[in-house]
Amino acid sequence: MNTNKAQEKQPMKEIITPSNKEVVVIAEQVNGEIQTVTVELLGAGRRLADKLGGKLSCFLIGSEFSNQPQELIARGADVVYVADNPALKDYRVLPYKKVIVDWINNFCPPPHIMLMGSTTTGRDLAPRIASYFQTGLTADCTELDIGPYEHTNKMDPDKIGLYPGCLYAIRPSFGESLKARILGPWKNPQMATARPGVMIPLDIDSSRKGEIINVPVNLTENELKVDILEIVREINETVKLADANVIVSGGFGLGNAEGFELMNELANCFEGSALGASRKVVDLGWISYQHQVGQTGKTVRPKIYIACGISGAIQHRVGMDKSSLIIAINKDPDAPIFKFAHHGIVGDVYHIVPEMIKQLKVHTKSTTNIKESSNTEKEYASV
Amino acid sequence: MSDIGNIFVLVKQVPDQSAKAGINPDGTIDRSKAKRMINPFDRFALQAALETKKKYGGRITVISMGPPAAEEILLESLEHGVDQCKLLSDRRLAASDTLATSYAIWKTVEYLKPFDLIFCGLQTTDGDTAQVGPSLAERLDIPQVTYCEDFRIENKKVIARRVIEGGYQWVSSSLPCLITVANSYHHLEYKNIRGAKLVQELLRNKDKKDELIKTINLDQVNADPILCGLKGSPTIVAKTDKVAEIGGSCFLQQGESVDSMVQEVVSKTNILEFTR
Repeated sequence: MNTNKAQEKQPMKEIITPSNKEVVVIAEQVNGEIQTVTVELLGAGRRLADKLGGKLSCFLIGSEFSNQPQELIARGADVVYVADNPALKDYRVLPYKKVIVDWINNFCPPPHIMLMGSTTTGRDLAPRIASYFQTGLTADCTELDIGPYEHTNKMDPDKIGLYPGCLYAIRPSFGESLKARILGPWKNPQMATARPGVMIPLDIDSSRKGEIINVPVNLTENELKVDILEIVREINETVKLADANVIVSGGFGLGNAEGFELMNELANCFEGSALGASRKVVDLGWISYQHQVGQTGKTVRPKIYIACGISGAIQHRVGMDKSSLIIAINKDPDAPIFKFAHHGIVGDVYHIVPEMIKQLKVHTKSTTNIKESSNTEKEYASV
Repeated sequence: MSDIGNIFVLVKQVPDQSAKAGINPDGTIDRSKAKRMINPFDRFALQAALETKKKYGGRITVISMGPPAAEEILLESLEHGVDQCKLLSDRRLAASDTLATSYAIWKTVEYLKPFDLIFCGLQTTDGDTAQVGPSLAERLDIPQVTYCEDFRIENKKVIARRVIEGGYQWVSSSLPCLITVANSYHHLEYKNIRGAKLVQELLRNKDKKDELIKTINLDQVNADPILCGLKGSPTIVAKTDKVAEIGGSCFLQQGESVDSMVQEVVSKTNILEFTR
C-alpha cells in the first residue's frame, strides 16, 4: 500500500502552526465616522478569527474618539486598539504607517492576518506596510478564507512545509475570467485589502464585550513631509453610488457625453437613484471618475441596475452583478450583458429609454402626487 | 536653472485584453501570442512626466521591467518625447510578485538616482494591484501621492490633488516624491514629430538605439537574485478557478415594438416600487 517513498517523505514535512492567531482589521474613519468598509471587514475578519481560533482586533487611528471603539466591538471586534492624536485626525499615509508599524513591532510575534479596505486609503497604506515588513499583500479581494496549504515546490526549498492556517486571499484575475487564490503563509502578518461592498457585516450587537487599549503615538519630522491643504467631499459627485436603490448606468453605446442627460432624466424618475458609467466612457471624459462602476471603479449592489449601452465586459460585471435586478438595454443581441442581466431589451437606447421614462411617469402620476423634479444632476443628487 | 532634475516614469508592457489574438477559448491569456501594449494607466504617468518637463524642466527617464520585447513600449515612449529609457530584463525576475518587483525596481532606481519625481500609473491592467508604486516609495523612504489627478510644483514642493472617496484632497509634499497618476488625469498627447523621427533613426541605427534604450540586468543594478522572482516573492497563486458563468436566465426581448417591450419590463419587475 503505502510505499517506502511516502514514508521517507513523512519526516521531511514540517508543520508550521501560527503562533499568534490574531486577525487585525485596520479601521477607516472620516471625521470620526467609521466607514462601511471597516464594518464589512469586521464581519469577514470575525469569521477568519473564529476559524483560526484567534482574536479579532481592530486598530482605530484618528483624533478625539468617543463611542467609536464600542461601535467596533458591537460589530465583532474582541479588542480595539486606539491611536488618538490631533496629527492623526485626517488620514495621511506616513504618520498612519508609522503608528501601525510601531504598534506591530511591539507584538511578539506579529499578528497572523491584517486586513484593510481596498479604498483610496487602504490601497495607499497597505503596500507601504507590507513593504516595510517584507510580507505578502493581496489586493482587492472578493473572498477571504482560512485553510491549509502544503508547499512542495522544490524550486523554492526554503518554503517547503505544511501550513494549516493560511489566509486564502481570493480575487478575480481580470481579463482572464479566473478567480485566483493567493497565499503567503511564510511571513506574518499575511495581508489583504478587500473590495468595499463585498464582505458581509455582522449585525450590531451592543451587548458584545471587548477590550479597548490605547496605543502610544510617536511621530517625527519624517512623517510630516506631506500636509493636507484642503479636503473636498462632493456629495453631488459621489452620487452615493453605494447607497442608491436604483443606478442608471451608461456605456459607450450612448455614443456621446450628451447621452448622460438622458440617463439623468431616467434616474430622476426614481427615489434614491444615482448615475453609473463604464470605464470606457469615463476614460473618454464623458462623465467623471466618481461614477465609474467595475473593476477599477466602484462595486455596487442596488435594488435595480439599468445598464444602457453597456456591453458587460468582465471588468464591468464584477462591479455590479450582485444587483438585485439588472435591466440591460443594448443594440447588440450578442452583448455579454444579456448573459447575466435579468431583463434585456435589444434596441436603441435613444428609443427605449424615452419610452421607459414616459411609462414610469404615467404610472407614478396616477398613484402619487409628485413634485416636478429638476434635470440637473446637482439637484437630483442632493435629494 | 530648471526647478526639476531627473524625472523617472515606470511603465509596463501588458497584454492587450481587448484584442482577440492570444486569448484562449477558456479565457486565459497566451502571453506569447497576445498583442502587447503600454499599460493604459501608464499613459497618464507618461503625460504627467511630459507636462512636468514642459513646465518645470528636467530630464525624463522611462524605467521598465520585462522581457526584451518590452523595447516596443520604450520606443513608443521615445516617440512621445521622453529622453531615455532603461529596461531591466533578467530571467531571474520571472514570477515576481509585487514585493519582489518593487525590490528590483528599487535597486534600479538606486542605480540611476538622483531624481526629484517618480511617476507611476495607478495600477496595471494585468495585475490590478496598485501596490508597486507605494511599495517602492516605502523602500526609497520618500513620500507618495497616490490617485493624483492634478499637480503643480511650487517652492521645491509638489502641490497635488488626489482622489478620495466622495471627493478629493489637495496635499503638499516635499521632493523627492513618488506620484501614482489617476485615470482622471489628462490623456497622453499624440506622438510628436521629433520623437517619431528619432525612433525612425533608432530603428536604422542599433548603436544609438542601445544607447537610448539601455538594457540592464540584476547584477548591474546590484540586486540580490534571492530577493527577486519566485524566491523573493512572499505570495504565490495557489489555485485558479474559472469564474462561474451565470446566465441563460435573461428574459430577452427583441423585435417587438418599443412600447410593448418597455411595458413588459415595467409590468414584470418591481421597478415601479422605486419611482418618485
